[in-house]
Amino acid sequence: MAPAILLVGTLFGVSLIYGLAQSLGLLTGTDQRTLSMAAYQNVLSGSEGVGTEFWPSLGFSLWIAGVSTLLSAAGALPVAVWLNHQSGRGRQMDTLALNWNLAFPHLVWAIGLLLFFSQSGLLARLAALLGWIQNPADFPVLVRDRLGMGIIVDYVTKEIPFLALIVLAALRSQPEDYGVVATNLGATPWQRLCYVTLPQILPSLISGSLLVFAFVFSAYEVPAVLGMPYPRMLPVLALDFFANPDLHHRAEGMAISLIIAAVVMVVAAISLRYEKRAGYSQ
Amino acid sequence: MKALPTYIIRFLLYGVLAAPLLLFGLYAFSEHWFFPAFLPKDWTTAPFTRIVMDPQTGNSLAASLGIAILSSLLSLLVGFPAARTLGLRNFRGRQVAWLIFFLPTVVPPLAVGMGLNILFLRLGLAGTLFGVVLSHLVPTIPYTIFTLAGVFASYDENFEHQAWVLGATRLRIFFNITLRLILPGLVVAGLFAFLISWSQYLLTLLIGSGQVLTLPLLLFSAISGGNPTSIAALALLFVLPPVLVIAASARYLNQHGNTVREQH
Amino acid sequence: MANIDLISLSKTYPGQIRPVLDRFSLNIASGELVALLGPSGSGKSTLLKLITGIERPDMGDIHFDGKSVLSVAPNKRGAVLMFQKAYLFPFLNVAENIGFGLKVMGESPKTIRREVARLLDIIGLPGMEKRKPSQLSGGEQQRIALARALIVQPHLLLLDEPLNSLDNTVRMNLQEAIQRIQRELGITTILVTHDLNEAMAMADRMALLINGQVAAVDQPMRLFQQPPSESAARFVGITTFLKGSLAHGTLRTDYGNLVVNTNGHAANSALFAIRPEHIQVQQHPGQNAIPGKVVGCMYRGEHIEYQIAAGDLTVRARVPMPATMVPHGENVFVIFPPEYLFAINEQFVRHSSTT
Repeated sequence: MAPAILLVGTLFGVSLIYGLAQSLGLLTGTDQRTLSMAAYQNVLSGSEGVGTEFWPSLGFSLWIAGVSTLLSAAGALPVAVWLNHQSGRGRQMDTLALNWNLAFPHLVWAIGLLLFFSQSGLLARLAALLGWIQNPADFPVLVRDRLGMGIIVDYVTKEIPFLALIVLAALRSQPEDYGVVATNLGATPWQRLCYVTLPQILPSLISGSLLVFAFVFSAYEVPAVLGMPYPRMLPVLALDFFANPDLHHRAEGMAISLIIAAVVMVVAAISLRYEKRAGYSQ
Repeated sequence: MKALPTYIIRFLLYGVLAAPLLLFGLYAFSEHWFFPAFLPKDWTTAPFTRIVMDPQTGNSLAASLGIAILSSLLSLLVGFPAARTLGLRNFRGRQVAWLIFFLPTVVPPLAVGMGLNILFLRLGLAGTLFGVVLSHLVPTIPYTIFTLAGVFASYDENFEHQAWVLGATRLRIFFNITLRLILPGLVVAGLFAFLISWSQYLLTLLIGSGQVLTLPLLLFSAISGGNPTSIAALALLFVLPPVLVIAASARYLNQHGNTVREQH
Repeated sequence: MANIDLISLSKTYPGQIRPVLDRFSLNIASGELVALLGPSGSGKSTLLKLITGIERPDMGDIHFDGKSVLSVAPNKRGAVLMFQKAYLFPFLNVAENIGFGLKVMGESPKTIRREVARLLDIIGLPGMEKRKPSQLSGGEQQRIALARALIVQPHLLLLDEPLNSLDNTVRMNLQEAIQRIQRELGITTILVTHDLNEAMAMADRMALLINGQVAAVDQPMRLFQQPPSESAARFVGITTFLKGSLAHGTLRTDYGNLVVNTNGHAANSALFAIRPEHIQVQQHPGQNAIPGKVVGCMYRGEHIEYQIAAGDLTVRARVPMPATMVPHGENVFVIFPPEYLFAINEQFVRHSSTT
């Protein structure tokens, strides 16, 4: 126990302390020696540079994370319920297929979408083959677009299997008897789904969805590959400022990163509450 | 006869999962594939070979493999005893320990990496393989611990006690009983750690300081380069090890169950 | 085979205030089968863990043949435990499971093969070597587990409710098998159970474990007929206790005077008890009779079980068949034959007053 706590706790704790110090202007390589909230002020209410971009970025991040989470949850539910009704070899194969998803890191998945959906991608070529478009420019902008659709598609397709596995685990840990009892009391399959199955898996689904939200909100790779120069998601913005050659911007990047971390921790805390409830209901 | 929806869902599921490999294959092995041709006219392995044979590719592949293997082995080594305690015992401070391991799984690598960046620079760890491995341990150890703790939660120590009273030594019990009972979970935990480390971009970028070049970093620079063939070739190379590792451990993934919490 | 001395063993788990075992002492003679009986949470399983060495006592000592074994590691102690679950290693077949103990001692494959075959014969499952644990029934699994424990020729065999998860027929079968094998091999054995019938059927002596202490230890018949304390009496199914003052062979109670056979001294507060099957129920008065009313009666096949209210006392009586059933609500007399009323030892009463 001790080595693990020491290693993880120290590295993680120190990274937070160093991060906090940097966001307050210390240790950033500049000659500042006193604590200052300047970075946070610039981020939250600055009239130039980072200040003009933070709020649109936050809005964009919330939009992407919110839509991705809702669509993933809506998609995962039928997949999991359907998978739960499968049996034998087919079921094993399907579960394996969901796990197969692990083999593709988000970065690779984003590249795949880029090659498929871009204006000279496979889909555009198919449209040309069917005579719908003549030039790549005729094809609608599906990735690297203002609405972040490419990013959303990436997350939704990756997170549906993830959530489906969570819901599936919740379903399979249920004693099957409840369904039988409901049927025995005269419930139709549809009623059984609504009154028995859904209430049983809802806590797990909500808890998992919140984790998805936290992840999408704070991940870097996908918006970096599939995003536009403006608006950018917060993590992209944070790294850009952090890596800025002008060391004064480091603190601002760090401040954004800590704001992201704070949001994520709050969401994770709510997720934990639901996970506990899921634990009780089993 | 099975219902039609079953076939449709299955088709979508398997289709979506097979698609990236096919797509990368198309782009990586084609030549003169200009718009609006739907399929490539000429096939060639030349650009793929060139990219794979490039010493930079080879070096970053080696770095990626080395870092991922080292990170997962270290995670298992450090995580195993912690997971056992966490899964089997109730002790004072259990909640705190749990929280210490939980936080790094949700706080993004972005924040951790940016925080560790300066510290590692000062310690002289920035830009070293060791520093990068150390930073990868922040997310991999917790995932390893949670996977194994889940296994230990349903583990019955009496198997060990039985062997013990029958005369087996501690060492023998560990290798002959514990490891064999835990093996599926151990493989899956190792697999998760490997995948997390393998796909790690930000921590490597922020700690490696440009000195440590792994495949994700190479991929990113290829993406900014914009050449679809090199992007696809590198992407193929990048997914190959995870695909192989997952295929090899498929049996254990199924045995282990489905509480997969891996996110990266 | 060894003579076992458990000397004043105490154990408190970290974070708990009440000790699980509180100065527990017991002697088990070589070749004897002692049943350890007690409600759940009374420390039975802990005691077994102390004896095997899986856990250490806070205080006290454990002697095998007069020598302390506290410093002997569990794998060298020769006190083999058989659990409620069979714990057959799922990745080993039957032969490998049984032979496990010999293998870790470095015996030759030939010896192991021979011994495994011999043990399979003893437990009545010859030729099962190649089976996997998952292919066995619950009863067979427990037999294999027994063989695995016996093959190392332990000084002491510890059975931790090994038959609990089995259904009745299999259970009876195994009770007989275990008793036969134990007698044949003359192996010192402690059987932990909460099943009174099982303990009485199998044991040479029974020890009652209540609140981490020995509440009573005796031959099954004596303990069943005349338990020394109230809690011990309750444990063996006695629910009728009569309190009163004792003088000249008469117990004066709130319900009337009762004649008792005792050579004890006069006492202001004496406690007597009687087994339910020794209480008679009749509709006319007689010697040592208390009037009451039937508030419950159940036909149990071999006997009728009455609940009779006599003042604030509820008497449970077990009247053997054949008998005519007295219906609910009838006024009756409860007879306490003097020869069956026995005094409960004060010294023990104080001991277990917490229950």
